[in-house]
Amino acid sequence: MKGFANMLKNISRNKWFLLMVLPATIWFLLFSYLPMVGTIIAFKSYRYSRDGFWASLFQSDWVGFKNFKFLFATHDAYIITRNTLLYNLAFIILGLICSVAMAVVLSEIVNKKLAKVYQTGMFLPHFLSWVIIGYFAFAFLSEDKGVLNQILTGMGLHPISWYSDKTYWPVILIVMNVWKELGYTSVMYLAAIVGIDRSYYEAAMIDGASKWQQFKNITLPAISPLIITLTLLNVGRIFYSDFGLFFQLPRDSGALYAVTNTIDTYVYRGLTATGEIGMSTAAGLYQSLVGFILVMAANLIVRRIDKDSSLF
Amino acid sequence: MAKARTLNQPSRASNTILNIIAAVFSIACVFPFLFVIIISFTNEKALSRDGYRIIPKEWSLEAYRYIFKTGDQLLRSFGITVLITVVGALLSLILISHFAYAISRSSFRYRNFFSFIAIFTMLFNGGMVPSYIINTRMLHLKDTLWALILPLAVNAFYIMIMRTFYRTTVPDAIVEAGKIDGAGELRVFYSVVLPISLPGLATIGLFSTLGYWNDWFNALLYIDNPNLVPLQALLMRIENSMQFLVTNSALSGSGQGMALLSTLPQDSARMAMVVLATVPIVLAYPFFQRFFISGLTVGAVKG
Amino acid sequence: MWKKKLATVVSLVTVFSVVLAGCGGGSKDEGSSASGSDKKDKPYQLVWYQIGDPQKDTDKVVEKINEYTKEKINATVDLKMIGFGDYSKKMQVITASGEPYDIAFTSSWANDYLQNVAKGAFVELDDLLDSKGQGIVKALDPKFIEGAKVNGKIYGIPTNKEVATQRVFRFNKQFVDKYNLDISNVNSLESLEPILKTFKEKEGYAPLWGDKNTSPYLAYDFVTEKLPMAIPFGSTDYKVVNFLDQPDTMKTFETLHKYYKAGYLPADIATSTNSDYQKNGKWLVDMADSQPYADLTWSRSAGYDIVSKPAGDAIATNTSVLGSMMAISSTSENPEKAMEFLNLLNTDPYLRNLVDMGIEGTHYKKNADGTVTDLPAAKDYDMPSFALGNEFILNLYDNDPKDKWEQFKKFNADAKSSPLLGFHFDPSKVQTEMAALKNVSDEYMPALMTGTVDPKDYIAKADQKFKAAGLDTVMAEVQKQIDEWKATQGK
Repeated sequence: MKGFANMLKNISRNKWFLLMVLPATIWFLLFSYLPMVGTIIAFKSYRYSRDGFWASLFQSDWVGFKNFKFLFATHDAYIITRNTLLYNLAFIILGLICSVAMAVVLSEIVNKKLAKVYQTGMFLPHFLSWVIIGYFAFAFLSEDKGVLNQILTGMGLHPISWYSDKTYWPVILIVMNVWKELGYTSVMYLAAIVGIDRSYYEAAMIDGASKWQQFKNITLPAISPLIITLTLLNVGRIFYSDFGLFFQLPRDSGALYAVTNTIDTYVYRGLTATGEIGMSTAAGLYQSLVGFILVMAANLIVRRIDKDSSLF
Repeated sequence: MAKARTLNQPSRASNTILNIIAAVFSIACVFPFLFVIIISFTNEKALSRDGYRIIPKEWSLEAYRYIFKTGDQLLRSFGITVLITVVGALLSLILISHFAYAISRSSFRYRNFFSFIAIFTMLFNGGMVPSYIINTRMLHLKDTLWALILPLAVNAFYIMIMRTFYRTTVPDAIVEAGKIDGAGELRVFYSVVLPISLPGLATIGLFSTLGYWNDWFNALLYIDNPNLVPLQALLMRIENSMQFLVTNSALSGSGQGMALLSTLPQDSARMAMVVLATVPIVLAYPFFQRFFISGLTVGAVKG
Repeated sequence: MWKKKLATVVSLVTVFSVVLAGCGGGSKDEGSSASGSDKKDKPYQLVWYQIGDPQKDTDKVVEKINEYTKEKINATVDLKMIGFGDYSKKMQVITASGEPYDIAFTSSWANDYLQNVAKGAFVELDDLLDSKGQGIVKALDPKFIEGAKVNGKIYGIPTNKEVATQRVFRFNKQFVDKYNLDISNVNSLESLEPILKTFKEKEGYAPLWGDKNTSPYLAYDFVTEKLPMAIPFGSTDYKVVNFLDQPDTMKTFETLHKYYKAGYLPADIATSTNSDYQKNGKWLVDMADSQPYADLTWSRSAGYDIVSKPAGDAIATNTSVLGSMMAISSTSENPEKAMEFLNLLNTDPYLRNLVDMGIEGTHYKKNADGTVTDLPAAKDYDMPSFALGNEFILNLYDNDPKDKWEQFKKFNADAKSSPLLGFHFDPSKVQTEMAALKNVSDEYMPALMTGTVDPKDYIAKADQKFKAAGLDTVMAEVQKQIDEWKATQGK
């Protein structure tokens, strides 16, 4: 009974905070947690019943882990896992460095009007879909009409069949992804830098600190919680890949699969052959589960080092 | 120029270098977009003959004429989009700012529990079909604007960003000082915390505005009534149809498929749709931008 | 200060958008319940999902449809059009969620017929066709019914149109005339060589065009599209083979590769997805599936003359038969009514033309000779004809050949059935392998089919990958199912 009384006391002490989290918590329950029941489709051979979804769900046969098998059973399993993981690592690290650097650059530029113009420009690729970007990439990389090959032949070099030579694609994919999202991600760091109390910098300057020292001792510590949070969150998505980037940009060229096939593109192609929603659910669950384990582990490590920066 | 601002500026040389870096990158970003605009005004025949050109040989309004064929539908869809974007972004700002603030305070006993509740939803989801059933059968959102607003209202990613902003920019001392003044937790939040969290709020506001503006999938699932279709859904439908017909050889080889395709100004229309969908939101961008880039004195914004 | 500004902006925008959103809204469902005076039961409303971009005048036409169907079969329809690119995705959610509807478009390329049947989404129609759908059975070529059967039962009603496909070479007539090319002897890939050579020499660019989905004519009936399991046309022993290993396939691929190396094919063909060449007219020949008067249709939509020569026989395959169908949902409350409606749609010229072309006098006008001409309002009601039911009772346009439908009927009657017509592979036991095979196929097939690579070592590589992905297992399963099917067919 004492525990219960304690709990009541705690609740009443935290009532304002609880009130603040209440609306979004209800939202989470309705729009996120309730649908999660559907995850059991991953373990079923889903067949339709006349009586609607729930009846279909419960009447369908259990098949254990059969729906997961296609992710592991083949030769390609290693390739798609490796590609997904390595590209995401590159995106996380390079994306982080570039967006922090760009945020610092933008915040330091003296003429704020110009800085605004630059920043607006950087945001534009975010609005272009990969299909559209794919068209432009093709204008550059096309074998007979592409700009790049025209330059190469103009310089007396051999043209390259870009869409069948996989050596260049890891670089192309990484550069294009960073290019597309840099404007978007740097906004967050920019906002964090703007939020830093200017008096720190003024004090540092009076002490004769250089710009680099200011960055190292003031800016970086101030934005490091954001860096840690965003990185942890990205780690949770490490088994997911941007379908458009890996499918549309390389024009689904078979010769490039060794470096462009990721879990998502593999699942997409495989499911056009079977149309089994159990399998797509299974793939999603697998991606989530790996992300979840990695986030929990990473969070534990962060917690050891700096309790305040951990996610929970 | 105030003296205080010039003191900590980078040297002229390094400022030039910074400008060059930012300028080169932003040109690399703007260039394709300029091309999008140019292509949207290029004659389709000229396009397939000459390829993409900075100055096309034949200009044309055909692409826009094709899209505006839908007439008042386009205008109505634009209205719907603006409405759901404004209402949705405000709603999500309210929900997110409160939730994130509570879990950012170390005095909130259950902060870890609620953080976990949020983060868990980023990692796991039930998939499209169960969500569809809950939204249509339980909440009866089908063919209502709420179907376009509610499913996007909360986002754990934004919550975690906002929580971090609160933690780094709202010192405990300020909150405690507010409390000593006799104000309650909520009063402190509204009168002290929110005003100094403007850059963070603007970031979240911007992201969720973009989220609502660009959303077309919810409309595809939940909206059958043509009067409630938002702009992106209208444009994406044309885009998707085009993409489908082009890549589906079974159809495009047949006479009917070819007839369908030949009525579409493909490339230019595609670009025109990007222009129509993007330009309004880009024009609204400076409204948010003033909160990320401003004079160096912004340090402590006085509300 | 910013607060005030923000408040003003927000309220202005809100008011503005409410006004915009409001205009044009309003009355929608009023017409349907208006005439409740007749003594019959309340008319049943059929929910009908149809592929095609939503049209401005759909509501107007549906009102007319309902006036007619209420009187004829005491039912009304609620026609929901979903765009081409979105249809499959939306139907998958609707079906999986068990949302009730009555009729839906289905085919081999959108809202997949076989997958839906396998999962129990559609009502079995044999009895209903007997009781309420005799008109349909009479109108259709028997090959349609045969091909649409899954395990001996039919679950969808094929649209009465061309039952077969015929691979043809299409020529850009402008160049045929210009260089006086002799196409009369063209009947195979090999026979194209002299004219390809002439064109390449004279014009300097590739004569033979296509995209990554292009495939040369191979005389095989494929069990599953683009997977290397097939039965040769004319086969009597029904033995599944890997067509990649066959000598005739090798010869075709070698010819293609020779052409590719000679520059007769565009360099990017294996990754290309656009049909720009048809628009700019810079091509000599390509490959396509034909039907009666196809040259006319092609020429009309291209804006210049196109002529064609057959590359193979007209053959009714599973894919050609399942090109466009209507099915009744297993969630339908009243499948009988749905069948009555489909029967009416496929047999009643008034209803069929109304659904297809809209309202006479508004969207089209009738000419003295019985043909029709589009009116300007036709653009507000532009429907995909081939997806809406029996084409042979459609009005002819003023520029259509008078014997158009006669030619179609003759084409259908003359078409041969492919050996596997009516056999549909059920992949549920080998789904893991199928997913892997599909990935291998996407990786290797486009390059082979477009001649981009040397088939000699490439086929060996592809074979090895297919084997590793489980081709043998799947092939054994296919053979088993074919044998069982054959036994029930008495073949």
